[in-house]
Amino acid sequence: MIFAQIFDAINIGLVILDRDLKVCKWNRWMEMNSGIPAAEIVGSHIFDFFPNLKTRKFLRSCKSVFTFGNFCFFSQKLHRCLFPFKTTGCFDTRFEYMQQSCAMGPLRDENNEVKYLFIYVQDVTEAATYEQKLVEMNMRDSLTGIYNRRFLESKLREEFKRHKRYSRPLSIIMFDIDFFKKVNDKYGHQCGDFILKSVSSMIASQIRNVDFLIRYGGEEFCCLLPETALEPALGVAERFRKSVMEHDNNFDGNNIKVTISLGVAEIRPNISSPETLLKKVDEALYRAKRKGRNRVEAMI
Amino acid sequence: MDVKKEKILTDEEVDILQEIMNIAFGQAASDLADVIDIHVILSVPFVKILQAPELPGYIRDEIRDICNISIIEQKFLGKFRGNALMVFPSHAGKELIALFGLEENMHPDADPAETLGRETLMEVGNIMIGACIGKLSELLRDSVTYSPPRIIIENHPCDTIPDSQLAADDSAIVLKTVFSFDRGSISGFVFLVTSHESIQWLKEALRKFIERYE
Amino acid sequence: MQKMIRKILIVDDSPIARKMLKSCIPRDRGYEFYEAGDGREAVEKFRETRPDVTFMDLTMPVMNGYEAIEEIIRIDPKAVIIVVTADIQVKAVTKVMKLGAHMVLKKILRKEEVEDALLKAEDTLRKFS
Repeated sequence: MIFAQIFDAINIGLVILDRDLKVCKWNRWMEMNSGIPAAEIVGSHIFDFFPNLKTRKFLRSCKSVFTFGNFCFFSQKLHRCLFPFKTTGCFDTRFEYMQQSCAMGPLRDENNEVKYLFIYVQDVTEAATYEQKLVEMNMRDSLTGIYNRRFLESKLREEFKRHKRYSRPLSIIMFDIDFFKKVNDKYGHQCGDFILKSVSSMIASQIRNVDFLIRYGGEEFCCLLPETALEPALGVAERFRKSVMEHDNNFDGNNIKVTISLGVAEIRPNISSPETLLKKVDEALYRAKRKGRNRVEAMI
Repeated sequence: MDVKKEKILTDEEVDILQEIMNIAFGQAASDLADVIDIHVILSVPFVKILQAPELPGYIRDEIRDICNISIIEQKFLGKFRGNALMVFPSHAGKELIALFGLEENMHPDADPAETLGRETLMEVGNIMIGACIGKLSELLRDSVTYSPPRIIIENHPCDTIPDSQLAADDSAIVLKTVFSFDRGSISGFVFLVTSHESIQWLKEALRKFIERYE
Repeated sequence: MQKMIRKILIVDDSPIARKMLKSCIPRDRGYEFYEAGDGREAVEKFRETRPDVTFMDLTMPVMNGYEAIEEIIRIDPKAVIIVVTADIQVKAVTKVMKLGAHMVLKKILRKEEVEDALLKAEDTLRKFS
């Protein structure tokens, strides 16, 4: 059969299983990516070679295809991959394994009975990598690399929901570089950018990996501290203040010292929305500024 | 070809179709229980013939008691072809996750709540639609293929169902069934909207079907 | 062998389904057929005609098959009722057998199954008579 050549020529993986889930066909693409030659796997139970395939969803899908003759889909979003193959190719990817979009369907005999099922495996690593980069870009600040305001807004909504359910504490620190405009005016915008990067990377190195550091806008930053009440959060803020004050920012032969003012707030029963929390912490920050800068103020 | 306003299916054809639906959905329910290991109830399906533009309004009327809904759509292609829509109340996603055990398939860095909820709806939609259409096409001696399921409406009030994009003079055979799982804690609707082109074939298939019993 | 089955009652809301079932029953045995379109009508017809065998659908308007079986068994505990349904989930089958149904046949029916069921019904009738 001339048309059968497509089986090995096509750039997707094709597998055919019989009703006992034994491999009947294993195309060249599968050979290449799995390193398992067809001669070796044909006739064996698929689970002998891929024991992790044996999930409820996979078994149910096989049963469904044999019973109803329908198609079942295994999306990259949920499954990442059906067959764990190492990523090949030269493009930059964070995925250790090839990202796959797979589907399963029936093969019928002349009496319309489902005799076999086929699985096709599509390599979608490239698209998934781009998507991941886009998602990443969408929540990061391009100058400093820390999270952006959009991320904060969605994270706060999420944290509020979690707080409502489990009533675990959550605090937020908002801080601002004192007299930042003067730095810009005196040393130029490039230096201003350097200071923003320097302050954010220094703070970033001090937080836990459950905390989130966000560039809120201009020279304003936020730090979200899950599972942290106001009192310890004030301690964290004080540490930030000291370390920024003591840090040497060397730019173009100049050592530029900056300080920050900080406000701290925590979720309380009377704070019912992310907006109110942000308002509270902003008020605290404003008070720190008014009281002379380079200091920490708690919400009232 | 001019269809005019004449009856698309005769009364007898509707009766035959109704019985085929009863059988198909009955078998689907019983095989589903076996495949997904959950007791499934599918109501006696209801057959209605509509002009395409009436469809969104019809669906809105049928489901108006549910506040927020999600709709899964899947196309089926055989001699018998069209669109299948599965309507869930929005909260169903969460409850179905445990029932269908998809957590074990979830990759740890997938966004848990959202991805899992959506994937579960699509999984359940795919299998329910596959069961209904599969049994139906088996009885009519057809074999169909399917597009991947898509979520076309997610967590919206039911009055936001968009108006139809089908051609105005297309007619549609709408088959509606109410399903429920697990002692009725989760229920929803399946609508099968048959495309205009398959109606001639359907008439012929219905005739052949009943001939076996003459 | 004396012929035990004379009257057959067919209960199904779909006229097509009744027709399909009838076409599976041998025509040369001189059976008398009675039909009902829902459970309520089935109970009335049963009381009137006292059929030897009743074929019963489960999902019907007005009164469903489960209730009809219950009432018919109340009228005649020895009534031979054969349930005909497409949905044969274990739960449903156990329920009708508990209610007193004789056996369950799966739609779509095949001629041989129906003939076989009638033979078994005849056996039962003979044992009880």
